[in-house]
Amino acid sequence: VGILSRLNDVFQEVFEDDELIIEREITARDIEDWDSLMHVNLVLAAEKEFGIRLSSSEVTSLKDVGDFVDLIEEKL
Amino acid sequence: MSSNIERLLTYVDEQYPQFNQGIKESIARTPERFKYIADLFLCWALKARGNGAIESSVDAFVQFTTDVNLAQARYEATGHYENKSFAELYESHYSQKSHMDGYLWGVYLTNFLWAHHLEISLFFESRFLSRLPKNSSIVEIAPGHGGWGVWALHELNDASLQGYDISASSIEIASSISEAAGVKQRASYCERDALDLKSLEAENCDAIICSFLIEHLENPTKLFAIIQKLLRPGCVAFVTGALTAAQIDHIYEIHHESEMLKMAESQGLRVLETLSTNPQRLFPRAKFIPRSMAMLVEKPMSRG
Repeated sequence: VGILSRLNDVFQEVFEDDELIIEREITARDIEDWDSLMHVNLVLAAEKEFGIRLSSSEVTSLKDVGDFVDLIEEKL
Repeated sequence: MSSNIERLLTYVDEQYPQFNQGIKESIARTPERFKYIADLFLCWALKARGNGAIESSVDAFVQFTTDVNLAQARYEATGHYENKSFAELYESHYSQKSHMDGYLWGVYLTNFLWAHHLEISLFFESRFLSRLPKNSSIVEIAPGHGGWGVWALHELNDASLQGYDISASSIEIASSISEAAGVKQRASYCERDALDLKSLEAENCDAIICSFLIEHLENPTKLFAIIQKLLRPGCVAFVTGALTAAQIDHIYEIHHESEMLKMAESQGLRVLETLSTNPQRLFPRAKFIPRSMAMLVEKPMSRG
């Protein structure tokens, strides 16, 4: 299973929405509940799913799903 | 909205859209006062830091808020703050210019970009500043970025301010903001530990500002003893604190609003007014509700 697909599961779990489908271009503008708190929740859930640890400056630098996928790929 | 506020909102939307919602909540809370305070603070930041100030301050704000949210998530998981020692934090944070510069500019914007801190700002303006004579002699304990005290000088034409902070970065930034606001002649800042202020002359000031210091101290009751000593009888202090609100440099956990009242009263101060606020948005199923509390405390004319 690819990173984007596993990350999609993370998004569905965090936003409690089984219908949610993410793409690389998706940003916080596209998901109503994606605020600064949920951003941190997403990171913590992704850290758990992928067994990685992100620094706070990396967390801040994530602008869209594509950034998320690329950073996870770097860390694996 | 003014061009500076528009510039800030555009930059946030382009670079950090996950912060749009919180900022919109702050604007919606009280649009007119948001505009007034944001304009003041952004204008001073631009004069102090130059043309890129809005963007670099937003970067700092986003980093600071992200760090706060990460700390709060860890607090939810562990049930306690991460650090306990002031001395260790001095070495790792307060004395580190590279860390403190970003940290202080980040905190500076929370005065209006966090909705619950905007409420604290409005309390400061309407309940504290409105009480002070125009020629007040003010002491600011741990001014940090200096915005609170400079705001007081901006509103009170003949007031003067002496600020004391343990961080050299604070002295530098607060001084630069006072200069940007055109009140430099009435403000002076000195690098000094707040708890060393017990050696200052007693009953020598008309007002004290002490914003979000309590939670950084191992024994905050000592701070109220200093406030009690420095205030003239009948004069007031504006004191704020963070309750069950984690940050890397918060070491003293306050769980209940009454704890702050008791600390003040135990040192002979009378609590005149309080305001406790919290963010609208919390972690799902949060055990801890992070609150910010402001108090006006008075040194009574006579003890008892």
